[in-house]
Amino acid sequence: MNEAIDPTNNPNARIPRTPWRLFWDRLRRRRLALTGGIILVFLYAVTLLAGFVSPYHFEREDRERFFHPPIRPMFDGFRLVVPRFKPVEGQLAKYERVQGETRSLRFFVQGDKYKLAGLIPCQTHLLGTGDEQIPVYLLGTDQLGRDVFSRLLYGSQISLSIGLIGILLTFSMGMLVGGISGYFGGWADTIIMRLCELIMSVPGLYLILTLRSVFPAGMSSTHVYLLIIVILSFIGWASMARVIRGMTLSLRERQFVLAARVLGQTRLKIIARHILPNTFSYVIVAATLSVPYYILGEVILSYLAVGIQEPQASWGLMLKDAYVNRQNLTLYPWLLAPGAAIFITVLAFNFLGDGLRDAADTKST
Amino acid sequence: MPLLDIQDLHLEFGTGADAVRAVDGLSLTIAEGETLGLVGESGCGKSVTALSITRLVPAPPARYTSGRILLDGKDVLKMEQSKLRHIRGKMVSYIFQEPGSSLNPVFRVGSQIKESLQLHRPEMATDSEVIRLLKLVGIPAPELRIKDYPHQMSGGMQQRIMIAMALASEPRLLVADEPTTALDVTIQAQILDLLRDLKQRLRMSILLITHNLGIVGDIADRVAVMYAGQVVELAPARDLLQRPLHPYTQALMNSVPKLGREAGRLQSIPGTVPAVGAFPSGCRFHPRCPKAQPDCSKKVPELIEVEPSRFVRCPYWSHGKL
Amino acid sequence: MGQFLIKRVLHMIPILLGVSLLTFLLLDLTPGDYFTALENNPQITKERLDQLRAKWHLDESWYVQYGYWIKNLWFANGKLGDLKSQWNKEADGRVWRVIKHAVMPDFGDSLQYKQPSSQLITLRLWNTFMLSLMAMILAWGIALPLGIWAAVKKDSWVDRSCSGIAFLGLSIPEILLGLLALMFAYSTGWFPIGGVESDMYYGVDEWSIPRLMDRFHHLLLPAAVLAASSLAGLMRQMRSNLLDTLRAEYVTTARAKGLGEGWVIYKHALRNAINPLLTIFGYSLAHLLSGAFIVENVMSWPGLGRLTLEALQQQDYPLVVAAVLMATALLMAGNFVADLLLAWSDPRIRLEK
Repeated sequence: MNEAIDPTNNPNARIPRTPWRLFWDRLRRRRLALTGGIILVFLYAVTLLAGFVSPYHFEREDRERFFHPPIRPMFDGFRLVVPRFKPVEGQLAKYERVQGETRSLRFFVQGDKYKLAGLIPCQTHLLGTGDEQIPVYLLGTDQLGRDVFSRLLYGSQISLSIGLIGILLTFSMGMLVGGISGYFGGWADTIIMRLCELIMSVPGLYLILTLRSVFPAGMSSTHVYLLIIVILSFIGWASMARVIRGMTLSLRERQFVLAARVLGQTRLKIIARHILPNTFSYVIVAATLSVPYYILGEVILSYLAVGIQEPQASWGLMLKDAYVNRQNLTLYPWLLAPGAAIFITVLAFNFLGDGLRDAADTKST
Repeated sequence: MPLLDIQDLHLEFGTGADAVRAVDGLSLTIAEGETLGLVGESGCGKSVTALSITRLVPAPPARYTSGRILLDGKDVLKMEQSKLRHIRGKMVSYIFQEPGSSLNPVFRVGSQIKESLQLHRPEMATDSEVIRLLKLVGIPAPELRIKDYPHQMSGGMQQRIMIAMALASEPRLLVADEPTTALDVTIQAQILDLLRDLKQRLRMSILLITHNLGIVGDIADRVAVMYAGQVVELAPARDLLQRPLHPYTQALMNSVPKLGREAGRLQSIPGTVPAVGAFPSGCRFHPRCPKAQPDCSKKVPELIEVEPSRFVRCPYWSHGKL
Repeated sequence: MGQFLIKRVLHMIPILLGVSLLTFLLLDLTPGDYFTALENNPQITKERLDQLRAKWHLDESWYVQYGYWIKNLWFANGKLGDLKSQWNKEADGRVWRVIKHAVMPDFGDSLQYKQPSSQLITLRLWNTFMLSLMAMILAWGIALPLGIWAAVKKDSWVDRSCSGIAFLGLSIPEILLGLLALMFAYSTGWFPIGGVESDMYYGVDEWSIPRLMDRFHHLLLPAAVLAASSLAGLMRQMRSNLLDTLRAEYVTTARAKGLGEGWVIYKHALRNAINPLLTIFGYSLAHLLSGAFIVENVMSWPGLGRLTLEALQQQDYPLVVAAVLMATALLMAGNFVADLLLAWSDPRIRLEK
């Protein structure tokens, strides 16, 4: 009945907070969401500085040390030192420690050349030993003797960016098409919705792979990267457009839209200014929760050998190397490290998305 | 001994510093066969009071800090769960505001009524008894209706089903929580007629909860007016409607349109109902009261008997002009 | 009801046509064709390649190819003769055999296997179906009780650990889980790896108990991997649905009647909490079929997904079209079943709309 609060009359009423403020207050109280957010900020920061943080270049091959297990720096007094390993004679991919020979782990060492954030040529690395003979492979090496940790960081550039760009593309397309379809109705609506239905009725991966096969297998990694985004967005926009259409249909009957129409605003302006902003809270939550879909899309395509190609590093490609055969999987389990990286990233997105959803839900406390 | 005797009930939600008091020192009695109207705006604590009679308020978060609720002399607040289940539905039955959402959408109405019978009068759990109950509440062609789902009925019919379900156990007290608020005006009148008729035929007590002063005069013997968790006025229905004593009751009366009078401007009560947990100090009505005195914000008034069987919580009560 | 069924089935036809058309269009855009790989083979002449292409109509434009494909679904050249030979075969049930041959659509022969695509697909489709079905049984069978338990014991350690597990299950990629499962199988030797059954049962009676047990043994690990992510989502959904319905007014009514808490939860609340789950059944099926694609490829389960991938790589277009269509049909059939279940479960849904 009289639920509306009138601050001028009631000294006990609290000053109303803006919706965004309320949203933020509720979000702040969710520890999981904050944890997810912090992990993501950290991951993206590291990704941006991948060349600097990784001790080696992702293409650098150490022919003497392939399938080298992870090397853990140890404390020698107050110094962190890296022990030296040498191959065991006559055995494949077996290494033993050379007692007494260590090199101290140093910060800001000079090493392989790279470009910081893809722009600034640079040679300084966060960590390293500065000695070719005593390398520090934090997560071991792969079949070509490449540092898994460095490749993981370079790979994160693909995985983490593909989600953001993909979401941007899908959602702008979904919102535009869905908004138009819902607001105008008629034959445009019919055609768009039939198209959505068609796309959604094919199980996702079947369509993705068929679309992928339209393009030649041996494309450059940059092209494949763009292609993956386009393909995933091509399929993703349909469900997004359907939801936005549904929301638009109910929103356009609301009083404030009628008011805008009475005031003589153009239809496109009404869609852009009055209807779409009301779908934002849904869109933000849905976007956060569907970033993993893009990350996993790249992983799957690269795993199936139709995605990112060697020598580029990508999490899916690295996972493919982990299971060439039974020996690989059981003897060199550190090659599964990209799997753990995917897991942590997806978990962080789920934490954040879940918290955002709860915070956007005004019914919850 | 009255059938229901609520003494000094205090109900809080939450604990510690966050605790908010929803009901504050409420006392009420209902005699056998009596109908009591409980009137107040939404959020004043009347529904929680009604649910408290059989301890249906989920606890936690609710907490009874003091007081007693005596049903037939036994304290409900100290009762074990198994005993409570014999009181619920058996001695006290409920009708709620929204019949559409108070009936379970996936079960047929006949089976929902039969469920009550099975619980409290298992020997009578037959189709013919269900049909008799449906006839009692005035549902046409009951033989056909028992196979219906709630969504296949109109709101008025649904509320009749709720009443039939409540009557199935032959309760001694019927709690009707805003039984007509969600219905059309014509249907409202039918449901009220039905309640009045049932009250006379079955001789049960009724606690009628409403925010509408207009309907209590029709059916209640006595009326209690609640504001912000407290009873502010308690009187026989006729007296209260003719001569309201508390400023809040007077204001409420002035905001109800009446037939056969000069069409003056209806007066609204300034301000809003204080939210639970944000009750003002002193007299809770003073920020909105047209007759407020300086000390109203300091001293908490008591409920005093100013005339025989008339109680008012205001030291400045007066015979208001209507 | 009958009308609804017919309408729903008829509604599938334009979608299947659309999907087949889309697939043809996409395959036409693909550079090269199945015979491109043979061009470098000096033993095969240019003329021979042209002959082969002409035989499969690969020299025509895509809509002509599509026309041939549609026509051949039921009216291929020589179909009458084929039916006649079926009739003349001296065996039991010849009437049924002829009807089956007449009604079953013919998706054309696979280019690489030189066998009817429908034959190749039937077996793979069955394997994918078994994998998905088993995963679904596992997921629903575990998720529903856990979700109910978590909702009833809201905020207890049970609830918290369930939601923790749900987060893990939702976040672990199927590829990683599949690889971990393989690692587990290799190191313990408890589970066979790859395939639907052991070689030793080749030729043994299909329905003999040891053979079925062996198949089940092969199925269990891939199905468990596939079930993991649906399980987590379903569990959370079940929990929040039940919590929602426990707040509903009819639950208060049920309590006010004097029903015990068990009856209130398991009869009145649960019955309503199931309905929204049935509406996400279709969605979870789509998810499951994509997941099956991954699991099949990681864990070497010979299902439709693996066949599709091979066919795509070989540009074996009849096989690709047939496989994509079958996957779509499987998904639509699942959605259809979900609609029927929902109508059966929720009296407010009417089928005659």
